[in-house]
Amino acid sequence: MKQPARVWSLLLHLALFAWLVIACLPIVWTAIISLRQYVDAFSVPVKWLAPVTFENYSRLWIDKAFYRNFLNTAIVTFGTVSVSLTVGCLAGYALSRYRGAVGFWLLITALVFRSLPHSTLLPSFYVMFDALGVRNEYFTLILVLVAINQPFTIWMLRSFFVNIPQELDEAALVDGCSRFQAFRRVIIPVMWPGVVTTGLFSFLLAYNDFLLSSSLVNAERMTMPAAIANAISADSEAFLMQGVAGAVSITIPLILLVLLFQRQIVAGLTQGAVKG
Amino acid sequence: MLLLLALPLAVTFYLSVRSCALQMEVVTVTESSPFGTKEVVTQRAVMGPDGRALSVCRFVGLEYFRKVLGLDVGDGDQAGSAAPPDASGAGAAPAAASPQRATEFMGALRFTLLYTFATTPFVLLLGFALALGVNQVGQRWRPMYISASLLPFIITPVVGALAIKWLFRDNGLVPYFLSQFGISLFWMAQAWSARLLIILYGIWHVVPFAFIVFYAGLQSVPQDSLEAARIDGANAWQRLLYVTLPHLAPLFVFVTLIHLMDAYRVFEPVMVLTQGAFTTSVQYLTYYILLQENNPYKASAAAVLTTAGIAVLLIPLLMRTWKEQRRGG
Repeated sequence: MKQPARVWSLLLHLALFAWLVIACLPIVWTAIISLRQYVDAFSVPVKWLAPVTFENYSRLWIDKAFYRNFLNTAIVTFGTVSVSLTVGCLAGYALSRYRGAVGFWLLITALVFRSLPHSTLLPSFYVMFDALGVRNEYFTLILVLVAINQPFTIWMLRSFFVNIPQELDEAALVDGCSRFQAFRRVIIPVMWPGVVTTGLFSFLLAYNDFLLSSSLVNAERMTMPAAIANAISADSEAFLMQGVAGAVSITIPLILLVLLFQRQIVAGLTQGAVKG
Repeated sequence: MLLLLALPLAVTFYLSVRSCALQMEVVTVTESSPFGTKEVVTQRAVMGPDGRALSVCRFVGLEYFRKVLGLDVGDGDQAGSAAPPDASGAGAAPAAASPQRATEFMGALRFTLLYTFATTPFVLLLGFALALGVNQVGQRWRPMYISASLLPFIITPVVGALAIKWLFRDNGLVPYFLSQFGISLFWMAQAWSARLLIILYGIWHVVPFAFIVFYAGLQSVPQDSLEAARIDGANAWQRLLYVTLPHLAPLFVFVTLIHLMDAYRVFEPVMVLTQGAFTTSVQYLTYYILLQENNPYKASAAAVLTTAGIAVLLIPLLMRTWKEQRRGG
């Protein structure tokens, strides 16, 4: 009786460990080869140990001015997160307290827009912003990312707001708060975890976006993922290795994020799901 | 939201039936050179009074739709801008290119659907298996597995696809291992292996999401039902089949729905892993037409078709969920 159980548990651990390797290997291996020269990174047979060099990083960050792309990313993500949280909080709060057909249809519309591939909006953004002369501006990109992000943000924040009992705002109203004061002084402090979670997800969307960032702004305003796209078809060896270094540079903040906010991310992923 | 999402969508629809081209005029230029003067017939854009090039916009109906769908073979690529009058070679090039391009959209749609339906079962099964597995191991191991699993999901798609590409590149790690077993394969050089790679990337990228959702769902399975089943003599398999799975059914629907939406817009791996050489997806098609062919009108037509595709794909599912919601109260 004891023996099969132990074998079973061993098998389980093996399987899970295999998944662990599969999940991490591409990223870990990229990180390893980013510290090597090209000849060591792609060699036959594979070298497990090779001289460590930071040349790829210094070339990328200093010679290629990758710090500028980093700043662009910082500006765009910060703008997107702050705007979409502000709008999302107000809209989510309103939708959670308002009971009527319009609210229901707004939510359905948001869901439909969430399912829309982003490329369907791209041609018209392209033409409209060209006509208005605002293509290649930070705020245009931020606005577009906010718009694309908004349906998701509203849904998520609403599901957090719904969990806050209505009695709480009623109590605040009775005590003499205006609607807005009740929202700001009473609801938002309670909502804080939900706001952080939603903020994380809009951060991820803005940070990871490639399609829009690469097509709506020019080279000097590009975010990191868009800038790295040059490495995709890179034939030159030095260029390829800079791409590898760039990929690792993009990933490091994300790894920090996972370590710091694991609980919020998990909560956010399951928020819509478990509550149905 | 309405301004920034609904309006562009409407504009896309509008653009898809129109075409603009620079208004060209044929001029005769006299070229003087040390070897005598000669007259050259050439084209130039007509300038408006403000110094900008004038363009003619007109309603072209479904022309671009036919072009994107490949029903319209032989016609030149740019509708408005006629080829130079005496250039006989220029007319031949688009005609030669069109057969291969004829099924552009259908090809892209076929691969997108293949990707969607090939990844969905793996995502559901692997995600669920992982959730069950992690649920079995000791409490202290779980955070490690969850953190590590979050990584592929959270990583920038371009970077993730690049990492996979570098892993499978010639002289990369995986081909090296395979060559130890006598398999030598250039992953990026054949259509089927490139497609397989995209699908593998998709599975790697989305399984963590399914895993996290199912894992959270497993925590909420009522323990007393499980215990009651155990007392009634159900074995582990029966408990899974008759207690756990029915409890998680809504989650399966949820994950499928989200994954269908996301898989339909697969873009980054296609761009990174094949650069459109062997296979395209519908989003890639719009992106390509817009930026490489620089033709927003044709791109709009592709975009409208994309929208129609997702609508056909999702409406039955949405209707079902909606009905269930209604029935549930």
